[in-house]
Amino acid sequence: MIDFIQNTLDGITIGAGYALLAIGFTLIFGVLRRLNLAYGPSIMIGVFLGTFIYLHFDAGWLPVAIATVIGAILAGIYVERMCFWAIKEGAALASMVSTFAIWMQLEELVTVIFPERTYKFPTLGEMDYLEFAGLEMRAEHLIMLGIAVLMVGLLHVLLYRTRFGLSVRAVSENPAAARFMGINTGRVIFRAFILASAIGGVAGFLLVATDPTVTPKFGLQATFKGLIAMMLGGMGSIPGAIAGGVLLGIVERHMQAEFGAIMRDMAAYALLFLFLIFRPGGIMAQGVAAREAAALRRV
Amino acid sequence: MDEHLVSILTNIGGFTFIALSAYLLLLTGEISFGQQAFFGIGAYFSGIVTAMWGLSMWAAIPLTMLAAAFSAGLVGIITIRLRGLYFSIATLAFAEMVRLALVGTTWQVKIDGEMIGPNGSEGLGNIRWALDNNIEANDFMWIVLITLAIVMGLFFLMERSRLGSIFRTIGADRLLAETQGINVTAYKVAATALAGAIASLGGIFYAHAQTHVYPENFDVMLGVHSLAYGLIGGLGTALGPLLGVILDIGFLEAVEWVQGYRMIAFGGLVAVLLIFMPRGILDERRVHRLRMAFRTRKTEPPPAKTHDPAAS
Amino acid sequence: MLEVNDIVTAYGKIEALKGVSLSVPEGQITVLLGPNGAGKTTTLMSVAGLLKPKRGSVTFEGQDITGRQPGTIVQRGIALVPENRLVFPDMNVHDNLKTGAYVRNDNEIESDIESIYERFPRLKERYHQHAGTLSGGEQQMLAVARALMARPKLMLMDEPSLGLAPMIVEEIFRIIHDLNQEGTSIFLVEQNANMALKIAHQFYLLEQGLVTFSGTPGDMDENEVIQRAYLGTTA
Repeated sequence: MIDFIQNTLDGITIGAGYALLAIGFTLIFGVLRRLNLAYGPSIMIGVFLGTFIYLHFDAGWLPVAIATVIGAILAGIYVERMCFWAIKEGAALASMVSTFAIWMQLEELVTVIFPERTYKFPTLGEMDYLEFAGLEMRAEHLIMLGIAVLMVGLLHVLLYRTRFGLSVRAVSENPAAARFMGINTGRVIFRAFILASAIGGVAGFLLVATDPTVTPKFGLQATFKGLIAMMLGGMGSIPGAIAGGVLLGIVERHMQAEFGAIMRDMAAYALLFLFLIFRPGGIMAQGVAAREAAALRRV
Repeated sequence: MDEHLVSILTNIGGFTFIALSAYLLLLTGEISFGQQAFFGIGAYFSGIVTAMWGLSMWAAIPLTMLAAAFSAGLVGIITIRLRGLYFSIATLAFAEMVRLALVGTTWQVKIDGEMIGPNGSEGLGNIRWALDNNIEANDFMWIVLITLAIVMGLFFLMERSRLGSIFRTIGADRLLAETQGINVTAYKVAATALAGAIASLGGIFYAHAQTHVYPENFDVMLGVHSLAYGLIGGLGTALGPLLGVILDIGFLEAVEWVQGYRMIAFGGLVAVLLIFMPRGILDERRVHRLRMAFRTRKTEPPPAKTHDPAAS
Repeated sequence: MLEVNDIVTAYGKIEALKGVSLSVPEGQITVLLGPNGAGKTTTLMSVAGLLKPKRGSVTFEGQDITGRQPGTIVQRGIALVPENRLVFPDMNVHDNLKTGAYVRNDNEIESDIESIYERFPRLKERYHQHAGTLSGGEQQMLAVARALMARPKLMLMDEPSLGLAPMIVEEIFRIIHDLNQEGTSIFLVEQNANMALKIAHQFYLLEQGLVTFSGTPGDMDENEVIQRAYLGTTA
């Protein structure tokens, strides 16, 4: 029983990182309605920039975190310009394949500059375990959870209390109507991309800092963890992204503990597959469906 | 012929099959991230048939294609209600489950003092049918290329037939297809089954050329590559995927100075190409213009409005 | 107030407007009638900066606004009530109104929303509800109110009666009439010629991308107007 609770707790912590990735995915998907496969790889660029700062300047975790976010943003801007801004409307497939091409490019760039298989990454410091009623929690996990919650709170304020947030929501819901209101959709997309990349950078830092090794495969993992968590929660929904991320974290953690790494990954994809077949709208589907039904009744 | 060239051409042939399978689904308006599953099933199933059961590759080909068509058709039926990105992600999830299942499967038997069979992440080795039958690399290449020519020929026939126009109609406008009395469900399942069989053909040749395959050969990278081939080469003709494969494998192998930096150069090139040609080099309009140039007597109606499956 | 001079707007190679000229005088209701596909919406889009005319010019209060960014045009005082309303369905009513004021950066937005609520009490009742759950008439009201939030001098309206019950159509037209009485100029695109002519000061008839008639509602036999507004000239 203690094990079960312990694994659930650990799962929630990892899930918080996944949730941030899924939020970034959902933000980009919301304003663009296109899939950005290069999301994870652009975060990976940030992570490697962080590693670079760490290795060459022996920097502490805060400068490394900042470098990670900056690197993710720069790579994100590159992806946005190449794969979305430059490709004309209506060519969503070309955009998606283009993000894949850029992914390959970024991954190779990293392996050329960092030829070793793995690199060290700073942890959030040497910290004690916190114990409570037989459960233990690594202090950095707690910090990770705290930062994730803080990020979600900030994001909520940004989306629901600011003019920029209003424009992001407007473009996500209906780009044509947003243009009619005088909103410059291209600029909103660009800024939403920067925001998503920054969130991704934080998520990348947190995920790597708790498991302090870096590999070029991080890009692939980040893209697919974020994608799975987004789909589990329901595309375009931020509460969904959080729920999906946490669910994914918990399921992975339990499967890992019981059956090992292969079953962990298997379970993640099986869960995704089952959700798509039986509940394609994700965890949050009920809300959307209920609203649509209500709208139909009132017309 | 130069050994290196032979292996490149064999590879081009093998990967064109999976590119064609992704292309076939694109015609019907679906983006699959999961064709690598059927490539992998093809490699493993045929490898088991020849290496473990001792049958010839000629027997393995129809058996494997049937098995792949069956499993692909099943996936098609299960996912029939999913559209757009939901279908793409479902196929991705399926393919990853297949790959992980291969990693987790060990089933070996002793043949002539050697352990043969799938061995988890160590893969499946000793697929020696070509060696045991003294088929040289050069001959094997011709087997692959001739099969490819036959399949491409069938593609051309299909695209000119009613079946081809039904597939394109479903891809362009599913509702329109339904109002025209087309049984969209049946054709979609048929297309996924057919695409699975074609992808498995690539896997069969890949396994028998390499003699050893690993589950990691069939990861999502292969799936997205196969999609990209069609889009780079062009979505207007079955030559498009072939052109995409030639550009990728040919470019990477031929230009030696980019070794080590090849994806940096190639990835950038593809991204730039897609800016100017969002439906690939041989897109519908260019294919139409080429046809008109080669055949001035007969005038054809212009191609139907282009459709982007990712937009739905 | 608004002058459209000989504009040609094309989608690819197909010219939807083949040289349209019209003018919308200040303080009046100007109606643009015409059958489907005549180019009515294209005209509005060209004025609002959402489509760039290939030729010709659009001037507003004496200044050239041809091909300007939509945001600039809204800021100059032209707001649009789009076809099919296009409210933001998953946003509440209050936020929908705020999007209308997106181009403004003064601090009177909240007080303007209050006066909107006074004018449309039904929106106030539902201020926290998602716009998607409103009835069609309420959504149309919201679309009009949202456009008002830009403090427009000229309002462009694209078929506000589309898909609404006759009683609600009357209410919408009364709102348009009232707004005009308070000084907002209106440029109204309509299929419902019958209702539109009742409030119009002047009207234009658009057929196949060309203005084929202009005048005041008394200038042409109403049956003919209606016939041509629905079907075009059958010569």
